Amino acid sequence: MDYYLNLINTIGIHTLLGLSAYILLLTGQLSLAQAGFFAVGAYSAAVLTVIFGWNILPAIGLAMLITGFLAFLVGFPALRVRGLMLVVATLAFGEFVRMFFYNLKWRVTHDGVEVGPDGTMGFSEIRYFAEHGWTSWEVTSLIWIFVIIVMALIWWADQTRSGAVLRAVGEDELAAGTIGIDVTVVKVAAMTAGGIIAGLAGSLYAHQITMLDHHAFTVLLATFAIAYPILGGVSNVFGTLVAVIFIQGLLVEGLRFLGDWRMLLFGALIVVVMNLKPRGLFDSQTLQWIKNVLRLRFFRRLS
Amino acid sequence: MDDFWFEFVEITQSIGDGFLYGSTYALIGIGFTLIFGAMGKLNIAYAATAIAGAYSSLAIFTLFDVSLVIIFIVSAISAAILGYLVYLTCFRFIPVHNHLAALMASVGGLFFIDEVIVHATRGSPLNFPSMFSEAYFEVGPYGIRGDLLFVFVIGLISTGVLLYVLFRTRLGLATRAVAQQDVAARLCGMSIHSTNSATFAVAGLLGGIAGAMTAAAVGILSPVMMLPLTIKGLIVTVIGGLGSIPGAIIAGLFVGSFENVVMYVRGIDERDMYVVALLFIFLIFRPNGLFGKTITRD
Repeated sequence: MDYYLNLINTIGIHTLLGLSAYILLLTGQLSLAQAGFFAVGAYSAAVLTVIFGWNILPAIGLAMLITGFLAFLVGFPALRVRGLMLVVATLAFGEFVRMFFYNLKWRVTHDGVEVGPDGTMGFSEIRYFAEHGWTSWEVTSLIWIFVIIVMALIWWADQTRSGAVLRAVGEDELAAGTIGIDVTVVKVAAMTAGGIIAGLAGSLYAHQITMLDHHAFTVLLATFAIAYPILGGVSNVFGTLVAVIFIQGLLVEGLRFLGDWRMLLFGALIVVVMNLKPRGLFDSQTLQWIKNVLRLRFFRRLS
Repeated sequence: MDDFWFEFVEITQSIGDGFLYGSTYALIGIGFTLIFGAMGKLNIAYAATAIAGAYSSLAIFTLFDVSLVIIFIVSAISAAILGYLVYLTCFRFIPVHNHLAALMASVGGLFFIDEVIVHATRGSPLNFPSMFSEAYFEVGPYGIRGDLLFVFVIGLISTGVLLYVLFRTRLGLATRAVAQQDVAARLCGMSIHSTNSATFAVAGLLGGIAGAMTAAAVGILSPVMMLPLTIKGLIVTVIGGLGSIPGAIIAGLFVGSFENVVMYVRGIDERDMYVVALLFIFLIFRPNGLFGKTITRD
């Protein structure tokens, strides 16, 4: 049972990570910094609960604020450059964060045990859930409550004016600028929101996995983060969830018998999908097709 | 005073070593910049094809015990073939104006090449024949490592050949025409796709040489080298200015020296961190790089 709960946890955390890239993708920005924000969220929340002994909820909240502020700071210089340059800048930022944690040593003695991030050795013993007697079910519920809240918020924002503004910037910056939208403000806001969500995902990840290692935050994770919304398409938030279930559930777990060849498939899958469906698997065309099929079935049943 | 003199010699020495090694970054940067100049797109899988080229030359070397010159030629040719394959799979059939899809596809290509190499070698690093590593020249208080000098000379020669091809041949003329105005080039009867594939192959040739150079200077070949080379190549491209070949050369040599000095002062663990920080300084103060024109398109 725990195996399946862990899988569900991973799907939840990766959905949050994918959604953080989804918001940026709405404004037409491809960011490889999401793994970096994820790492910052993970380390700061873990430091707060392990070294300062905070309760988990305020720790997650502060970690989200820290990550959001960092994303805000990264947003300004990075957004002076556009498109492909932004990819380089965010890729470099992600690596910078990873190397920072690779070098970070902050050992504190608590009750005779030394805890805290230990450079290359990673940050182990994040035992908040175990110490406070949380069951696996409660951990999973906590993660999925956050997933549902974030998904609902983004879905709701998409129905309001702000969603239209984000998409307008994504479709055509110049046109969006001419109708009075401040493009820079919108992009920095999207970056900040993406950072906050990635920080939330990271802080949940840190406590669920109990052990942080800089190897977990490489470009591979950043690629996963943008692959979800790209494969799922940006027409709505559920595409991202479907893509996460497809990749994490089917490709990573379902094909476990293939061993390491799965990662090879991941690379090939991205190449194939981009060739066949450059705008994502669930682009408007596919959605229309699905709708038509459903409608046909429905009417056939009626007649 | 003696201490100061000693420090001075050590630092200038590491600047010199880094300068020589920086020629590999310059070649990779030129490759990125060539492809960007031709298509306005980034090929993230580029450095991966370079390392893959070095791997195939190593395979030839262990199988047939060929001479050292052959290693570079094999590496260049196989990287050129791989570069062409990357063009076919990640760029050729994706809509021209969808930059992000092509970029994403090339990221997929990077992982694919990386995983294939990890599988073929079981992830363990292999020894690469280093050249002239015994040679050592002493100039006053300084020493010049033979292998680094060799790498530098190879880099100079390949840059020279590239510039010749680009500015003195019909292929180079076509490449520059397509880079300048693809519509006009097509109207003049040039085929965009064959010119682009030629650009990818030429960039691949350079990359293969750079991959073999990197491996020869370090003495080992490992899949772990792929990502740092990608990131440093991209940093060099951005610092030099996207699309500028002289910019890539200068930035490559500069990044090489800079990282070597940082390594001398702060140690190898923090080296790459400061190189990335250098990129951010450039992004803030000179977002278009040293020689880049103001970017008008994404």
